[in-house]
Amino acid sequence: MKANSNLKRVLDSGKFAVTAELGPPASTDSKIINKKAKILKGSIDAFNVTDGQTAVVRMASWATCLIAKQQGLEPIVQMTTRDRNRIALQMDILGVAALGIKNILCLTGDHTSFGNHPKAKGVWDVDSIQLIRIVKKMRDENKFASGDEMDVSPSLYIGASANPFAEPFEFRVPRLAKKVAEGADFIQTQCIFNIQKFTEWMKIVCEKGLHTKVKILAGITPIKSIGAAKYMKNKVPGMDVPDSLIDRLESVPKENVSKEGIKIAVETIQKLQQVEGVAGIHLMAIEWEEIVPEIIKSAGLYPRP
Amino acid sequence: MMGQEKKPIEEVLDSLDGKKKIAVIGCGGCSTVFHTGGIEEVNEMAEILTKQGKKVTPIGLPFAVFACYKPFSSMFVEKFKKDLKECDAVLMMSCGDGLQTIREILDEELGVEKPIYPATNALGVSGGGPAKFIEKCQACGDCVVGKTAGICPLTECPKGLLNGPCGGTRQDGKCEVDPEKDCAWNLIYNRLKNIGELDKINNFVESHDWSKVTRPRVFEREPLDIHKHLGRTKEVIESLGI
Repeated sequence: MKANSNLKRVLDSGKFAVTAELGPPASTDSKIINKKAKILKGSIDAFNVTDGQTAVVRMASWATCLIAKQQGLEPIVQMTTRDRNRIALQMDILGVAALGIKNILCLTGDHTSFGNHPKAKGVWDVDSIQLIRIVKKMRDENKFASGDEMDVSPSLYIGASANPFAEPFEFRVPRLAKKVAEGADFIQTQCIFNIQKFTEWMKIVCEKGLHTKVKILAGITPIKSIGAAKYMKNKVPGMDVPDSLIDRLESVPKENVSKEGIKIAVETIQKLQQVEGVAGIHLMAIEWEEIVPEIIKSAGLYPRP
Repeated sequence: MMGQEKKPIEEVLDSLDGKKKIAVIGCGGCSTVFHTGGIEEVNEMAEILTKQGKKVTPIGLPFAVFACYKPFSSMFVEKFKKDLKECDAVLMMSCGDGLQTIREILDEELGVEKPIYPATNALGVSGGGPAKFIEKCQACGDCVVGKTAGICPLTECPKGLLNGPCGGTRQDGKCEVDPEKDCAWNLIYNRLKNIGELDKINNFVESHDWSKVTRPRVFEREPLDIHKHLGRTKEVIESLGI
């Protein structure tokens, strides 16, 4: 495989990997990107930048990646198929690879109806699995989706997402298998709050031997407030937030809720480290990037290899 | 059928602003089923426009006479050639297909070039009935439902995903975009299981061939023997005792 990212190096060495999300600004404010990058530097192996998450206009993932990369961190560009057809996707893949981005996360993207431009036309010329195949074909066969050949091909470590909590549950492992078969090298999962269900899913993943073919990074989101927990439980489709978690947050004094949220995140990481097949974590501290170093240190994952 | 809804009456009246004599043409096909342009709706519209001080010629097409099929619709429209010649505008109570077919009849067969306005919004190829309809086909030109248990993911899934559900399927199997609607892939999964074809879900489906939707698509076909086919319809009607 022609990919040589730091994330790949860490995962291949068998070390427990750490990635984190860096939310791009809804403006041209590069200062905030640099600020977030400085906070994350040293605590993580690579950072993801979302690509129009929840279909809200923000700075392009690739542009934010390049700005933050100047601080010496390794980016994972997120690329959704919502806003670009196969022509635009391949043009961007060439561009990000030429500009030194070494990891890509292939996604379908949130539906336009959730965002701030609900009248926009969703593209979805290809789906996330077809995008994985396109990137792999470009990287490994020096060919575009059309079959046309290229001289210098993109050297990208290919990622995909997985949601163990969405229905139909029985199809969630076969779906992962499809992503692996088409070329996913690593997986970043949906936020895990229901550890039991995740463990159940991982068990099937390991039974199928998929953990030996793909590196699975478990998704972690520290909860800042009870409102945020309830919002994720009730408003974000595909999210599984058990009542016991909300009860626990409600059992502490209001001023300690975010501390409890951090504690839960650290405990979750420690539990997930024990789950067979989990190769690392992906921290999605939404608009709370400053908490990442503390969580990584508390979880005993600092310093990074 | 072509699913459809009435445009807001304000929008219709706006489009007819300044026009005195209006010919209102309906459709005996989908527009009758969807109550957007059957004979009743054409008469109702005529009444509304008359109250607005307009002189109206209502041209309703009987059930099963599709505005979009020239051999049918031209027979009815031709009879109103004089009114159509004198009118200031035509209001078409059908989908855009019916509207444009009528426009062609007016322009090319009757030599009557008039402003023509829609009273209807078309909502896609939708089957079902008598009361509930769901858009099922987007006429992509490259049908995939043989791989997906007879359910079209390009149409039933708001993202048109071909390789399985996104991560947003709700706990109750509903779609993330509309909690009232079933996730297309949840339906496909269950139906593949029921018909013993679940292994198909593991097959990779290639990126769709959208070249077959390069518009407009034009076809030529052997003209239908209307008399023969109407004869068969007559038999059905008689067997129903109508």
